[in-house]
Amino acid sequence: MGLAARSIIEGYKEVRSLRSVMSQRADELSDEQLMRGLAGPEVEAALSTLYDRYSRTVFGVGLKLLEGDRSSAEEVVQEVFLKVWRSSHTFDPSRGNFSTWLYRVTRSAALDLYRKRTSRIRPVPEGDSQIDAARDSSASPEEIVDESWLSWRISRALEGLGASQREVIELAYFQGLSQSEISQRTGIPLGTVKTRTSSAMKRLRQRLAGEDALKEDKK
Amino acid sequence: MMRCAEVHQNLGPYVLGGLEPEEETEVRRHLAFCPSCREKLKEFEEVSQALKAAPPLADPPSYLKDEILSYVRAEERPSSSNNEELPSPRLPSLRASRESRSKKLRLLVASVAAAALVAVVALGTFFSLLTESPVATIQLTPIENEDYWGVAELYPQPSGNQQVELKLNNLDKPAPDSYYEAWFSSGEEYISAGSFTVTDSGHTDVVLTAPPQTQSYPTFLVTEQSVTGDTAPSTEVVLRGEVQ
Repeated sequence: MGLAARSIIEGYKEVRSLRSVMSQRADELSDEQLMRGLAGPEVEAALSTLYDRYSRTVFGVGLKLLEGDRSSAEEVVQEVFLKVWRSSHTFDPSRGNFSTWLYRVTRSAALDLYRKRTSRIRPVPEGDSQIDAARDSSASPEEIVDESWLSWRISRALEGLGASQREVIELAYFQGLSQSEISQRTGIPLGTVKTRTSSAMKRLRQRLAGEDALKEDKK
Repeated sequence: MMRCAEVHQNLGPYVLGGLEPEEETEVRRHLAFCPSCREKLKEFEEVSQALKAAPPLADPPSYLKDEILSYVRAEERPSSSNNEELPSPRLPSLRASRESRSKKLRLLVASVAAAALVAVVALGTFFSLLTESPVATIQLTPIENEDYWGVAELYPQPSGNQQVELKLNNLDKPAPDSYYEAWFSSGEEYISAGSFTVTDSGHTDVVLTAPPQTQSYPTFLVTEQSVTGDTAPSTEVVLRGEVQ
């Protein structure tokens, strides 16, 4: 049997096995397996699972890049997930993981929208960077992009925490509650709240360190 | 005085400012005399610093997922192949009324531009019969949902090289410190046909030269490359077409 024919048969077997797995538990598949699933009959299940995993991060980073404009951030989410569906064939796992690829898609969608929005609000003199001109003069486009990459990484790290650890970080950092207040609100003993907060921060650090290894992939 | 194990338990809350004043004082007192706990503290401070970059904790509206999946379901029904050829969807609930006029205008401009391209291609074909004929014409379409497009014409040269004449429309200037690069590809192999930039949106003509090996490469791509990045093709593919 020729190599090409063998490769086609292997590919067919892989798709068939993927289809059977997809119909069982899409949420147990890796991002890369789900991306392959987008080319098959279980496209909706695959896209739905990717959406559940990443929509908060895409929305949050969209909000950050678009200065809190909720309506534009919703548009970013829409653009990004339709691009994931349409352009799944351009994703090559050997060149970086799915999260890094999705970050680039999100950044591109948000910056495109930012440019369009800025050009609607006021014309920018030719030759200037539109983003640079519209933002604080101290923030260069590179800084904005670097900031959004860190935002993406910390958001992914937070999403990767277990529910109980994420809860204490959300209450302590984002809502500014003291450890005693968290204990009162949740009914969890104070010592457990403290241990959980410190464990969650250690876990965040580990996850951020893991993402650092991928940092070079972002460009 | 607190022992190290107790301080470790409190370091997370300490850097987040969540301890009661007396606990905070005790931790600070211990840290003043304990280099190993100070070292541990740095790790927590790094995380606290990273949290400052966290995006707002907010969920997108629940209807958004349903709208996206409904659109995909509707488009998948007739055919699941060739998704990249689909026009850009604008889901009604997200369409701000103030934008609809400008979108209609863009559509009109795109239609006129498309008609103009057809005319240019037709005229080009006509004149090419009189002069030199391209060996192939490649229709270039955006990979992502964008309104730019183009045509690449390939002319064989006596040297064996291929002259590539790119006619691009509505392609934006590349991002700062970036440029465009044209590639021929076959599977995982890529050969660069050269780099270029565009000065403004609108029509841009570019002439490039590619080596003879590219004659057997079936795919043509235009990528956006960073000047500080890798010399390999980036994943920011802006245009793509198949050699006909």
